[in-house]
Amino acid sequence: MTLASTAATGATSGQPQLVIDNVFKQFGEGPGAVTAVDHVSFDVKPGEFVSVIGPSGCGKSTLFNIIGGLLDEYSGNVLIERERIAGPHKAVGMVFQEESTFPWRNVIDNVAFPLELQGVNKSERLDRAHHFIDLVGLKGFEKLMPSALSGGMRQRVSIARTLVSGPQILLMDEPFAALDEQTRLLLGDKITQIQQDLNQTTLLITHNLTEAVQLSDRIVVMTYRPGKVKRIVNIDLPRPRTSDVVSSDAFGHYVAEIWADLREEASRGMADTESARRASNRG
Amino acid sequence: MAATGQVKNPTATMGFAARRSSDARSTNLIRIILLLVLAGSWEALSRSGLLFRDVVPSIFSIWAAIWKLLSTPAFYVNLQVTAWEIFASLAIGAGLGIAVGIVLGANRFLGAAFEPYVYYLAPTPRIIFFPVMIMWFGVGIASKIALGALSCFFTVALSTAGGMREVDKVLIRVGRSFRATSWQMATKIYLPAMRAPVLNGIRLGFGTATVTALLAETKLSNQGLGFMIMQIYSRFDMPSLYGLLIIVFILAGVGNLILGKVTGTSA
Repeated sequence: MTLASTAATGATSGQPQLVIDNVFKQFGEGPGAVTAVDHVSFDVKPGEFVSVIGPSGCGKSTLFNIIGGLLDEYSGNVLIERERIAGPHKAVGMVFQEESTFPWRNVIDNVAFPLELQGVNKSERLDRAHHFIDLVGLKGFEKLMPSALSGGMRQRVSIARTLVSGPQILLMDEPFAALDEQTRLLLGDKITQIQQDLNQTTLLITHNLTEAVQLSDRIVVMTYRPGKVKRIVNIDLPRPRTSDVVSSDAFGHYVAEIWADLREEASRGMADTESARRASNRG
Repeated sequence: MAATGQVKNPTATMGFAARRSSDARSTNLIRIILLLVLAGSWEALSRSGLLFRDVVPSIFSIWAAIWKLLSTPAFYVNLQVTAWEIFASLAIGAGLGIAVGIVLGANRFLGAAFEPYVYYLAPTPRIIFFPVMIMWFGVGIASKIALGALSCFFTVALSTAGGMREVDKVLIRVGRSFRATSWQMATKIYLPAMRAPVLNGIRLGFGTATVTALLAETKLSNQGLGFMIMQIYSRFDMPSLYGLLIIVFILAGVGNLILGKVTGTSA
């Protein structure tokens, strides 16, 4: 694994902010046990945007839950500023794959939620929430309930809600999985812009290759079950970036390169699913 | 075959609003006709002399009895007593029910251990506990409140426990990721997420509390609408008896309607 700094991004090349050290997680016991995450190690430096990409079933979401502190029983270490995390760490802000806005709160109260937990007074809470609602491009929608918004807008509410808590590390699990391709590209722009504006350290879990290349400084490619690190690829595309980058030659080159790795894993995953189907068909 | 069903759909949705209002009009019409037919048959039965006049009194004498009842101060005193019994038993029963429901819903072990008992006890007729309540709390209001609370406790506890388990898991993970305290998890995530099932349980609890309070009053009491019913019955004043029953029906209906509006749950 290379620790070469991604100079092109302007990311500081100091101490890694987040270290994933030999993390191993197995579900179940005995012969039926499934290894979800198999001795995974990588790190994320301050201001860096790292993506973890892999086919379905490579343990990405397990890794997400471990790093987020929602899954405590694992071996190895997740270190933030050289300390092993115990439970959800205050430096980490999570954005979930599923629909996760509170349906009984309007947009601004959804976004202000983490500040409410911290006991921030109301006027400051609303001020800060307004700022991040503006940042994700939802100005004017403050008073609407989530049910009145589109899926993409709701996901932006979730992102603003996480950002308002001021996380040092933004941790996202396929936040755009349920969205269509155009919305996904445009939201990707938004994420890039936010990440560049805030110099936000970000770790994105995804199965979408173009999304990973479009957004990342580095990509961690995972193998299909058990999930190991297959390769770590530096993405030396210029910053600031926009979704226009997808039409560049360099972009195509990265996509092709990573796809060559990913293809093997994805087809292994597919073969596995198919044989399982066939078996259940016969039974 | 499925395709033809889909083709029909757009026209069906187009006329939906208009159809619904005309539907509402015709159901109202049917209700009114039914009431008139019932009242007419009653009056005919009353005048036919087939049954004792006292058993099936004329509609008009019932109507007069209702007005008389509504103008006696005793009616309002008893109404107040019953209303207080229902309110107090709902407050106590629902309060305890929510608390127990939360414990059962939150703790998988306790839920598995104790929820079956709640299920099995829920449909037993609570009136059989009335003698016990009288021994504990006396013949006054307290024993009715205790019995009413006991009866609505189960409904509220079960719907709360069910509602708790239905809470969207990702919202719980969101709360945890923001490091919410247990208290914050309860007040800011579980309670608002469980609002609908809990309120529905309270509404159902209101029904059982009303039934139980009146039932207990008819058994043994010295005040309340149920007591009044039995008093009138002992005088064999049938018009007043029917009149009071109608008043109680209407009051229970209105109470339910108000509670439905307040809690935002539909009928």
